[in-house]
Amino acid sequence: MAENFEPKIVAFLCKWCSSAGSDLAGVSRMQYPPNVIPIQVMCSGSVSPLYIFDAFNKGADGVLVSGCHPGDCHYIKGNFYARRRIALVKNLLEFIGLEPSRFQMSWVSAAEGKKYTQIISDFVEQLKPLGPQTKLRRNQ
Amino acid sequence: MDKILLKKALPQWVKKLQAYRIYAPTKDEDIWTYEVVNTPEDIDLEFLTTALSPKKIIFPQREVYFEFEKPDVDNPDIKETLPEDDPTIVLGVRPCDAKALTLTDLVFGGDFKDVYYWKRRNQTYLVGLACHTPPSPNCFCLSVDGSPHSKEGLDILLTDLGDKYYVESLTKNGDKLLNLAKNLFKLPSAANKKEYQKIQAESEKNLKRQITNLKKVPPKLKGMWDSPFWDDEAMSCLRCGICTYMCPTCHCFDINDEVLSSTPLKGKRIRTWDTCQFPDFTMHSSGHNPRPDKASRLRQRIMHKFQYFVETYKNYQCTGCGRCITKCPVSIDIIEVLEKVRDYGS
Amino acid sequence: MINVEDLRKEAKRILKEGKVKYVIGYERDQNGLLPKPAFIKDPDDVDRMIWDPTCIHNLTKFLVDEKKRKAAEKKPDERPVGIVVKGCDSRAIVVLLQEKYIDREDVHILGLSCENYGVIDEKKLAKKLKGKKAEKIELDDHGNFVITAAGGTIKIPADELLAERCLECPANFPVVYDLLLGDKKKKKVDEPFKSLEKMESLSENERWSFWTEQLSKCIRCYACRSACPMCYCDECVVDTINFAVTADTTATEKAGKIKWVEKSPAPSENFVYHMVRAMHLAGRCIDCGECERVCPLDIPLRFLNKKLEKEAKKLFGYMAGFDPDEPSLVSSFKDEDPEDFIR
Repeated sequence: MAENFEPKIVAFLCKWCSSAGSDLAGVSRMQYPPNVIPIQVMCSGSVSPLYIFDAFNKGADGVLVSGCHPGDCHYIKGNFYARRRIALVKNLLEFIGLEPSRFQMSWVSAAEGKKYTQIISDFVEQLKPLGPQTKLRRNQ
Repeated sequence: MDKILLKKALPQWVKKLQAYRIYAPTKDEDIWTYEVVNTPEDIDLEFLTTALSPKKIIFPQREVYFEFEKPDVDNPDIKETLPEDDPTIVLGVRPCDAKALTLTDLVFGGDFKDVYYWKRRNQTYLVGLACHTPPSPNCFCLSVDGSPHSKEGLDILLTDLGDKYYVESLTKNGDKLLNLAKNLFKLPSAANKKEYQKIQAESEKNLKRQITNLKKVPPKLKGMWDSPFWDDEAMSCLRCGICTYMCPTCHCFDINDEVLSSTPLKGKRIRTWDTCQFPDFTMHSSGHNPRPDKASRLRQRIMHKFQYFVETYKNYQCTGCGRCITKCPVSIDIIEVLEKVRDYGS
Repeated sequence: MINVEDLRKEAKRILKEGKVKYVIGYERDQNGLLPKPAFIKDPDDVDRMIWDPTCIHNLTKFLVDEKKRKAAEKKPDERPVGIVVKGCDSRAIVVLLQEKYIDREDVHILGLSCENYGVIDEKKLAKKLKGKKAEKIELDDHGNFVITAAGGTIKIPADELLAERCLECPANFPVVYDLLLGDKKKKKVDEPFKSLEKMESLSENERWSFWTEQLSKCIRCYACRSACPMCYCDECVVDTINFAVTADTTATEKAGKIKWVEKSPAPSENFVYHMVRAMHLAGRCIDCGECERVCPLDIPLRFLNKKLEKEAKKLFGYMAGFDPDEPSLVSSFKDEDPEDFIR
């Protein structure tokens, strides 16, 4: 692996909780690795498996889906559906041989700016030794 | 000049052909396909038929036409990507598949030559293998102006005489390939010649299926456009497209731009195979499709092969390889359909 | 043992009484042994119908065709269609009912039990016969298939010829029917997901090599999608065909139309296509095996769907195609759904 490999993480953050949590980290000037490309979605339940496969297809080294804690979803049930669907996507990606740590999911509330920075830092540390994601990446 | 090559000398001849990229039938579990072979010892010509014909070598599923890049608005940069110089030999081509290439030559040639097709075609040499017993229970080459020992489209034809091949060089390119290993090729004896003729005669008798009076079909089809015949025949069709993808003569294609990045704009224009069985065949940009149902698609396939192509190119667009019959998941049989067309209304 | 005459009698009755438009069943194909789908409209034609261990096709795809045909007609014939189904096929009907794609009144189901066996895999049979052509296949009383071929008979233990999925079958007789022929005894299956375990035990790299090799063969003929009764979308995600183009549509809009998967068969695109299809079938695939049977390049597609079927059962206790009133897998949830993978 190249010494300066900086993994690119695509993070699908639900607007009401996780994206707000990442904003809190920002306004509080918490330091965390700048490797995230955040994509705000209305609800973690609206994240389609297509988005995740597309992120890997376009070259993401890691993908994160983050939503509200169960019971706190702005749309009541969206994150429960996400919990099921993402479990299936994760199992499928592992089954075809993608490194399991490349795809992660988390519950981050609007007040958990610190937790968000922790998740991203840990994610980057896990991805660095794995190197660039070439398995599902579209070839030039 | 006719020659004899002992089967056990085949790997030695192939060793002399190392300057070329060599395709030969390769077995993967139960399916034979043409793959690039690097070790001459691995070449096995004891195969029946391949899943995909050698059409995929000359008319690949994915062909890059050009690459484009637009660093700024006024400066588009287009780079044509012709196929590379890569002289290729395909070993073990069945006569039906070689004849099929002469038919796609008509489509991609003529007034407007497709440069990508011809670059590949002109650098590919075909070494055919004549049939003795039909490779498929559904072969019917004789009915469509072909034969199990046809030389059309080939550079060399091999006929299996048991422990040796009867070798006929048919073109200058064929001569060139033989001359690379002159010492391996002997002159045939009178007995060899007799055996060769016997096998040719037997191969025609061995063919199990045929369509009699096929020439009645093209004019009959012209009057069957609105017939309910097609609805009945297409009832079990799944529109899977296997018949057209496996067919050595089918040549529909689609062209799409695959954009790699939008700023700067960068991408490639790519040609892929297409089929009259896909949902967007003849779909207008308004969403209307004049051939919306299965019946019209089956009619399209049959009429293209046995009426439109006959009118335009004076040939049936079918070489009787039987792949569409063998692979159809619901056993739609083109021979049966043609026989019904031939006898329709009588 | 099922007497095919009982099946023919019932088909004749419903056709004569005008209860159904036509009956979808199996008949012998013109080449001799294998069956093909039959559409019987005339009550006197019912003798064409057959039933034996070679009847592997899932005929429920034609129910999807029938619905699409009716939708395109101005004054469609609203009578139901009769259909011959095995256990697995009936689960496909249950999924279509569950999703309200068809109504129960649209089908008259003639259910046939596979009893203790199932259907024969044509490729396994061809291997055993080594080029000989089979003329007849029967089941004897000792669990063997007796095959008449080229002047002799060969006896082969059933397990060596049955389709892989039949060895793990959870529904050897139809779960929904108007008529059921044959035994209603559940087949004993030792290990429901055994075929998957070997693949799961491979290392990550081995699994990756396997799938890269297999999916690189894919020529994107979409036969798998066409054969699947559950793939009934008018516009598939890989074929953006309903993008309305008017005189005002700009070139940028046309270029920007969403394309999740490129049309060309590059390995990365093939992966996305097959994984998206597997995800769209999660909790809906009933393992009829048609996708794998029709694939012209013998890609083992069943494994992808089987993996999600196993996860649906293991993680969520869900099995597709048994109860038309239960909600679908991905539009429901339980409080106890596992979340150990979520940080």
